[in-house]
Amino acid sequence: MSDKIGVYVCECGPNIADKVDIKKILAEISALNEPPEKIIIAKKHKLLCSKEGQDFLADEITKNELTHLVIAACSPRDHDITFMNVCKKTDLNPYLYKLVNIREHCAWIIPDKDEATEKAIQYIRAGISRVTYQAPLTEKELDSIPDVLVIGAGIAGIEASLSLAGENRKVYLVEKTSSIGGKVTRFEKILPHQGTNLDIIQEKIQAVQENENIKVFTETEVEKAIGFFGNFEIILKNIHNEEQKNDFKVGAVVVATGFDLTDPEKIPRYGYGKIEDIYTSMEIEESNSKTGKILLKSGKPPKSAALIHCVGREEKGYCSRVCCNYMFKIAQYLKEKIPAIKITEFYQDLCLPNKADQEFFIDTKNKGVDFIRFKDIAVRQKDKEKFIEYTKMDGKKEKISAEMIILAPAIEPAEGSKDIAELLNISLDETGFFQEAHQKLNPVATSIDGVYIIGSAQNPKDISDSIIDAQAVGGKILTQLIPGVKLVPEVTVSEISDAFCTGCQTCLSVCSYGAIYFDEDRNISIVNEAICRGCGNCVASCPSGAAHAKHFTSAQIYQEVLEAIR
Amino acid sequence: MNNSDILVIGAGVAGIEASLLLADTGKKVYLVEKASLTGGNVIKYEDVFSNMECSTCMIAPKQQEVLQSENIELLTLSTVEKVQGEIGDFTVTINKKARYVSLIDCIGCGMCYEPCPVSLKNEFEQNLSEKKAIYVPCPGSLPNVPAIDPEHCLQLNGKKTCNACVEACAFGAINLSDKDEKIEIKVGAIIVASGFDIIDPAGFPQYGYGKYPNVYTAMEAERLYASNGPTEGEITLRKGDAPPKSIAIIQCVGREQQGYCSSVCCMYSLKLAHYLKHKLPDAKIYNFHSDWCMPGKYYQKFHQDVKEEGVDFIYSPVAKIKVEGNDKSLSIEYYNGKNEKEKLSADMVILSLAMMQGKDTASLSKLLGIEQDTKGFFMNQAIQLGSVDTSKPGIFLAGCAEGPKDIQGSITQAEAAVGKVMSYLS
Repeated sequence: MSDKIGVYVCECGPNIADKVDIKKILAEISALNEPPEKIIIAKKHKLLCSKEGQDFLADEITKNELTHLVIAACSPRDHDITFMNVCKKTDLNPYLYKLVNIREHCAWIIPDKDEATEKAIQYIRAGISRVTYQAPLTEKELDSIPDVLVIGAGIAGIEASLSLAGENRKVYLVEKTSSIGGKVTRFEKILPHQGTNLDIIQEKIQAVQENENIKVFTETEVEKAIGFFGNFEIILKNIHNEEQKNDFKVGAVVVATGFDLTDPEKIPRYGYGKIEDIYTSMEIEESNSKTGKILLKSGKPPKSAALIHCVGREEKGYCSRVCCNYMFKIAQYLKEKIPAIKITEFYQDLCLPNKADQEFFIDTKNKGVDFIRFKDIAVRQKDKEKFIEYTKMDGKKEKISAEMIILAPAIEPAEGSKDIAELLNISLDETGFFQEAHQKLNPVATSIDGVYIIGSAQNPKDISDSIIDAQAVGGKILTQLIPGVKLVPEVTVSEISDAFCTGCQTCLSVCSYGAIYFDEDRNISIVNEAICRGCGNCVASCPSGAAHAKHFTSAQIYQEVLEAIR
Repeated sequence: MNNSDILVIGAGVAGIEASLLLADTGKKVYLVEKASLTGGNVIKYEDVFSNMECSTCMIAPKQQEVLQSENIELLTLSTVEKVQGEIGDFTVTINKKARYVSLIDCIGCGMCYEPCPVSLKNEFEQNLSEKKAIYVPCPGSLPNVPAIDPEHCLQLNGKKTCNACVEACAFGAINLSDKDEKIEIKVGAIIVASGFDIIDPAGFPQYGYGKYPNVYTAMEAERLYASNGPTEGEITLRKGDAPPKSIAIIQCVGREQQGYCSSVCCMYSLKLAHYLKHKLPDAKIYNFHSDWCMPGKYYQKFHQDVKEEGVDFIYSPVAKIKVEGNDKSLSIEYYNGKNEKEKLSADMVILSLAMMQGKDTASLSKLLGIEQDTKGFFMNQAIQLGSVDTSKPGIFLAGCAEGPKDIQGSITQAEAAVGKVMSYLS
């Protein structure tokens, strides 16, 4: 069959018409006509993106039975979708069309009309050359499963489960410890309003337990998660009984594995583990919520306490964001219980990013808590007395003694984050937390479609922000994984030729999406088109030329470049 | 019956994110924006911290998606005038000002600007450049369609008969008899993403803003650096022939008065310092700061990098800093870490000003029937537990309308608001 290529030049009002010689373009392009193999129809129009222009194009495609379409007009950013939609209304496959930008690339930037015209002709020839090598592509539709696996039953995981579970959507909530609620349940009060107690957290835990669409697995880990957005196969295993397994399918996975606290024993200058009555903030929280008391080892209430912020901040290379606030909270606990206590808080920077934080700080300060900004700090014991030796910002060295010392250890990624990352094929960043798809625009998503990260698994966060994250993942999943609605994966994906693949597996190592798997029996790599995003990494790295990107094949690009530089 | 259409107020980064997610589900979204363009404050930045990604490159595809979405009805130059009803059934009256240029017919070629005889200060560019009475605020505005300022257009304000732009338009896209419209819509839920404003530096005479020409706000400095800004990215002074040789950035201006930390100034001040070092490698850059607020996991590393670029960090109480001098040179009096008074001179001073609630928060709060907090922002319910709920069911908050936050925080809240809307309306 012969190619019948329609080439339509848009005048774009005066924008193109005044700056290039359209008559000359049409004459030169018409001259490429080589019937019967290659028939070229070249015409102009005053504004192809207008309603009238689109109707004209559709009519031309049908009337002339075009096999290919080239449009010489504006930037694809403006109207690529417009013209693809025109193709869709006709019998022409939209991947057999090419938009050549002769406005931004020629008319608007080249003052000399002849030069602009020459360049436009070259570009259009390149477009014609490319389009004949393009292949028709069709969108596929995939069934999807609306159910969701949530890993981690802390506050973020609980909130996410509650946001997601519904009549048509089951949530599997997996927790490695024996109960749900996470670290929050160990607190006495919540920030920043001291009046609030934990009732609201208890209510959420109960709501999870009573929700028939949420299935909770405690003392359980994820053993396997294979698949893609809309269709993951999951196997769970009981931590104490490897034989006890559960398998099911979900459409999405939410990682809410939380955080751990840095072990202060690893930073010897704080004396933790060696000197008596040095505690972590979490130990104080637990003692306070269990016994209602904060006491020295001797059983007596402390007369003085030093609260040291930023323990491990320098080592970790980031600020843990929540410590300042919870250290104020601990100071307030102490003041309530032991009004005469002398409290000094040692900090490097007060990080108070929430609109209510500064008020809470001032309130704490007004209750008689001293604040000292330090450059260096260490805890030493002399006889039975503990001293905090510190260098102030002005370089002066000073020391004070305190009966009780409370440390705010840096928040670090939860133990086992690395295993979860490997299991789900997502990445950890340089800080060890899970890496988001985009730091600014896509913070709860990951590079793997359908796998999400929320709460302190992504970045140290307070309870409020963890809950917002959990609701955000609700926003993502509820809008993108709708029961009964099919998913349409990317069309311009890569393909690996069975015949050329040598089984070297280089492509597996460069694929950021986990879209390629290796068929051991046939010794070849295979692309899962439902996962591939068409980035082309595998194409560039394949030493045997077996991988190619649909719609961006070497032949298509070569033919385009060949004409462009002729 | 429940109406599943949604109104989103504000087409900044939060409003855009919410609209796109909802539109994807086939729901109809009315996106109401008071300016003539989308993108809010994010499009004013050249780069974003801390990865220094090009801001317009990041946000423009999203803005474009809004314009191309069949389910989003973007109403620019529009404000909400009246809201009645309740969750599932709100009736909203929108005041849509005349643009005088058709969003459908205009292709954004810009042929109409030159013939316009009127020159005005360009507020979008912090008055650092001029615009015509028919204008787009900056190159790259989306929608890429100008608007006409009816107060200053000679034909529209009746001062003179002028048809220059209409004659210059090859597409018949300009219609000077365009009228303001009242539009009534029915929606099931409302997302308020009306953003923030910056505190007026006139309230802080000690830093010399307005008195000395070479004292700038951080937003002005952003636009000076921006390649699509008033100087096309050249760092120039209001008064002076050469680029500045020394620049002092003063952080936390207005924090004490507002009673909260704006949470993003440390990072954007570091970004400004980094910009300036990049464009003016020999310039001396001072950064007057109090405690560093760097709540993101990548932020401290950025701080370290900027320090290593040779920026001078000076810990100094902002309340005691004074800027004095004249048209050409400035002197900064401050207290150093040892509480000793010191002085240094600089050609340029940049003030990192507190973020505050958007100017129309009070009026919006009244007509939506939702509460403001003690700081003036919209109040979320159950603040201690994180929420995008307002005091009225069916109305949700997203972005800096709720309090100062960075882009990441605004996006997360927008997605959370969408999550709430989906739970209520589906």
